[in-house]
Amino acid sequence: MSSRFLELERARLLAVVAVVAAATGACQRETRDFLPPKPGAVVAGAASAAASQAEIANAAAMVGRYEHNAYGTSAGKRLWTWYNCSGCHGAGGGGGSGPALIDDVWIYGGDAGTVYQTIAYGRPNGMPAFGSRIPKDQIWQLAAYVRSMAGLASADAAPNRDDAFLTRTPESFLDPQKPETVKPSAAGGRPQ
Amino acid sequence: MRACSAIVLAAAAHVASAATPGDAGDWPMAAHDYASTRFSPLAEITPANAPSLKLAFTFSTGVVRGHEAAPLVVGNTMFIVTPYPNVVYALDLSQPGAPMRWKFEPKPEAFAQGVACCDVVNRGLAYADGKVFVNTLDNQTIAIDAGNGKEVWRYRSGDIRNGETRTMAPLAVDGRVLVGNSGGEYGVRGWLVALDAKNGKEVWRAYSTGPDRDVLIGTDYKPFYAKERGSDLGVKSWPVDAWKVGGGTVWGWISYDPELDLVYYGTANPGPWNAEQRPGDNKFTSGLFARDARTGQARWFYQLSPHDEFDYDAVNESVLIDLEVAGKPRKVLVHPDRNGYVYVIDRASGEVLSATPFVSVNTSTGVDLATGELHYAPAKRQRAGTVVRDICPASPGGKDWQPSAYSPRTRLLYLPHQNLCQDEEAMQTGYIAGTPYVGAILKIKPGPGGRRGRVTAWDPAAAKARWVIDEDLPVWSGALATAGDLVFYGTMDGWFKAVDANSGRLVWQFKTGSGIVGQPISYRGPDGKQYVAVLSGVGGWAGAVVAGDLDTRDGSAAGGFANTMRDLKERTTKGGMLYVFALP
Amino acid sequence: MNGIHDALAPAGPQALALFHLWNAMLVVCTVVFALTMAALAIALWRAPRATERASADLDAQPRKEAALRRSVVWGIAGSSVLLLVLLFASFYADRALSALPLADAVHIDLVGHRFWWEAHYEPHDPEQTFATANELHVPVGRPVLIRLRADDVIHSFWVPSLSGKKDLIPGRESTIAVRADRVGTYRGQCAEFCGYQHAQMALVVVAETPERYERWRSLQREPAHAPSDAQQARGRELVEQTSCAMCHAIVGTRAGGRRAPDLTHVAGRGWLGAGAVANTPKLRAEWIANAQKFKPGVDMPPIDVAADDLAAISAYLGSLE
Repeated sequence: MSSRFLELERARLLAVVAVVAAATGACQRETRDFLPPKPGAVVAGAASAAASQAEIANAAAMVGRYEHNAYGTSAGKRLWTWYNCSGCHGAGGGGGSGPALIDDVWIYGGDAGTVYQTIAYGRPNGMPAFGSRIPKDQIWQLAAYVRSMAGLASADAAPNRDDAFLTRTPESFLDPQKPETVKPSAAGGRPQ
Repeated sequence: MRACSAIVLAAAAHVASAATPGDAGDWPMAAHDYASTRFSPLAEITPANAPSLKLAFTFSTGVVRGHEAAPLVVGNTMFIVTPYPNVVYALDLSQPGAPMRWKFEPKPEAFAQGVACCDVVNRGLAYADGKVFVNTLDNQTIAIDAGNGKEVWRYRSGDIRNGETRTMAPLAVDGRVLVGNSGGEYGVRGWLVALDAKNGKEVWRAYSTGPDRDVLIGTDYKPFYAKERGSDLGVKSWPVDAWKVGGGTVWGWISYDPELDLVYYGTANPGPWNAEQRPGDNKFTSGLFARDARTGQARWFYQLSPHDEFDYDAVNESVLIDLEVAGKPRKVLVHPDRNGYVYVIDRASGEVLSATPFVSVNTSTGVDLATGELHYAPAKRQRAGTVVRDICPASPGGKDWQPSAYSPRTRLLYLPHQNLCQDEEAMQTGYIAGTPYVGAILKIKPGPGGRRGRVTAWDPAAAKARWVIDEDLPVWSGALATAGDLVFYGTMDGWFKAVDANSGRLVWQFKTGSGIVGQPISYRGPDGKQYVAVLSGVGGWAGAVVAGDLDTRDGSAAGGFANTMRDLKERTTKGGMLYVFALP
Repeated sequence: MNGIHDALAPAGPQALALFHLWNAMLVVCTVVFALTMAALAIALWRAPRATERASADLDAQPRKEAALRRSVVWGIAGSSVLLLVLLFASFYADRALSALPLADAVHIDLVGHRFWWEAHYEPHDPEQTFATANELHVPVGRPVLIRLRADDVIHSFWVPSLSGKKDLIPGRESTIAVRADRVGTYRGQCAEFCGYQHAQMALVVVAETPERYERWRSLQREPAHAPSDAQQARGRELVEQTSCAMCHAIVGTRAGGRRAPDLTHVAGRGWLGAGAVANTPKLRAEWIANAQKFKPGVDMPPIDVAADDLAAISAYLGSLE
């Protein structure tokens, strides 16, 4: 009688252990690195030089990492205001003296490497080159945030609330864009 | 024709006797005359025959951003300037279809487009001594030979990489060209310079902030109110060094009184918009200067909106008229301001004779005429990190840059303007050169009644409106008044309208290809007929959602206008066309 | 240590009031504790003992019902009286905290960030105002009225030698008034968990004589010193043109950022990073190069520049007295 009881107890214990192990083993915690993957170098000579293919490819990979990292996109959101991106592109990315970034019209392209290049090296119609003023790691975070604003980042990593005056649907509720829309489009070009 | 004009001119005698250079059928400066009446003495077109106005000719400018300029007509030539890239055209009005006589392309730097806060506009040209003067977006002022379109001289001052641009219409006065800068939203320090019209050299430069020697405040300075007196107020009313990025740019209108030899102009808002970062009155922003036209020395200054928190620039036009006040004739200026009040100010002394709201105002409760103080309403004061709702008027003001017209026949000031309120959150902002220095998020919305635009016929003597036309969209175009007792204006969805100057009754309208934000003019053609011309092409701050292809899902885009202009994209598209009308 | 961080070493009237309250509570509670322990000891000593063969015989004890009731009554009465005493002591201490006369107060706007303190003196007077961070200087004997706001999450102001705690809550304003009556350096600490580096968010309050305070105050009003040699000039150029100016402000230069501590007079401060490292040339350079090493999770990214550029920046900042 009592040994039977003990057997049942042991079985129940084993079952609980198995379920807990399965549940926590399947749980993937998001990591947050305090140090950037590479030292956060400023981009030397960004105002004049062009980005190399290796630099763009590397940036695309890093931005892609941050797009799936909630801390990365939220850091990008913080920097969006800190570095006055919101001043030209609107608090919610709808545009102003700079173009709208939340729509599916990309003047130069909306893929991760191109967005990095735009921020770091600037563009001729008024986008300053920030590569000498913002560490690379932060540019990657900004690029990840910009893509999340356009619905191109992972929805569960995109920010979902504003700490300031809300002016549009939060990023994580935006409809995702189709991959083919990230090519440069003529409709978004500026004159001259 | 000539006799008619003479009678009309005599009737207009109590308008400040500014000798309008040239023929009465010309339109030689953006405001028509130094008193800024924008009044055409031509009377051929009247409410009776206006319904038969027809299109005489058109001209495509080749640019599709906001066309805010006024065309100029001198003799048989019309001069127009486009938004960036600021092409200047001279059209030969003596030929059928007004073909191009010449075209001047200043080729401003493309990068300037990124630091134009409110669309890449240009508000017009100036003309004097056979030369046309144009400002380019990238901080150049160019003198062009009016006959052959060749460059005579080029003046450069200011760096777009610090956010500085140039959009205003220059004013030619007495052998000098007055030019002011733009960029108050980018931490640019404002100034007005006088250039020698012959060679483009600086004759004098008056800053809007900083020590007295920079602001040209000296022994001639005799402001009416005690609050404007003191030494180096342009430094002391700011935290240390904040005046260097303080704004006060001069991107609006300048008037000139030849008898007093004074120029009158307003300075823009202080920067940043987040006022907590700049305690003090922030002189000499958001106020009106009267300066000696020859030396630039300040005669008086009146700050309409001290320590401005709402982007109430004071750059709107000041119309110089003679008005009877309390039984005595006074030389005054009438200035409808962003802060929602029409000011009548003695233009010799700077005394405010009246300040009357012309729209719904809750950011202030009134102007104390004894001290000149604007009494702000505590409930609408900005606090960083807090959303303040239902601020009226919104930051574009009761009326923005779009200039009014004064008819000496009806004695009414015709104001094209808007009826807007807003919700706003101010916040801490850093100064990063070349980026906006604002610190505010806005969502603009319709004012009381829900109609976003208005044309008001204001009686400056009685200090009230005679009639009001409500428009669905903000009226962002200038107004034109004619001796035929008509008032012309354009709507943002492209209707160019003529209304009876006495009653406001619509007598004619024409649907142009794109929204109208330009300034209509009237001139006498070589055939002796009266023509009315306007540039069509939507844009400016209110039209940026179309001109810039912005996304209205973000209500704060276009400086907060996106929230209330979501329908504009369905109502109009980009364009750039000159329309000229006449009777058949 | 960054300064005196001791609620039992009061340097101002409020800390003194709290110190008295603390002493009163300590004495009362010690006495009560002692009495309670004594009663317990007596009860244990007089209790009947069990032996090997027989359990404790409670019937052998004389009945003390009446004494029991009396003990209970006396216990309750005594406790109530003591509690009332403590209540009044607390009440008077609270009154003392808010009864500080505020005439001729120094006004400070304090904004709590993760993980530093932003301070603006005399925020409404353009001819008196200046910005600083993490280190407040106050004149001895004058009240200091501090407006408390938070930029992101809840922080709490706590300088134990000067006063008790007051929270900084985002979206709300609160005020606290303190006064230092003794010259000295007092350390404060963020007292509401605000994130990874909550423990390294120190606030230093330096109480000085009125003359020294005046000298400090007029120095703070001045723009930053001009560079005095080529290395410092290079340092300023780097500060203005690279990432420093995006977040930091140095009045008199083109650096106008407001997201990080104002550096106009940073060399005059004892520590960097809100008490994280001492402000020595070596540690300053290391902090600039990689603040994450000392304070991981702070918003300042590693600044990866060449060694001589780093030395130039550090030399320039070191000259900003």
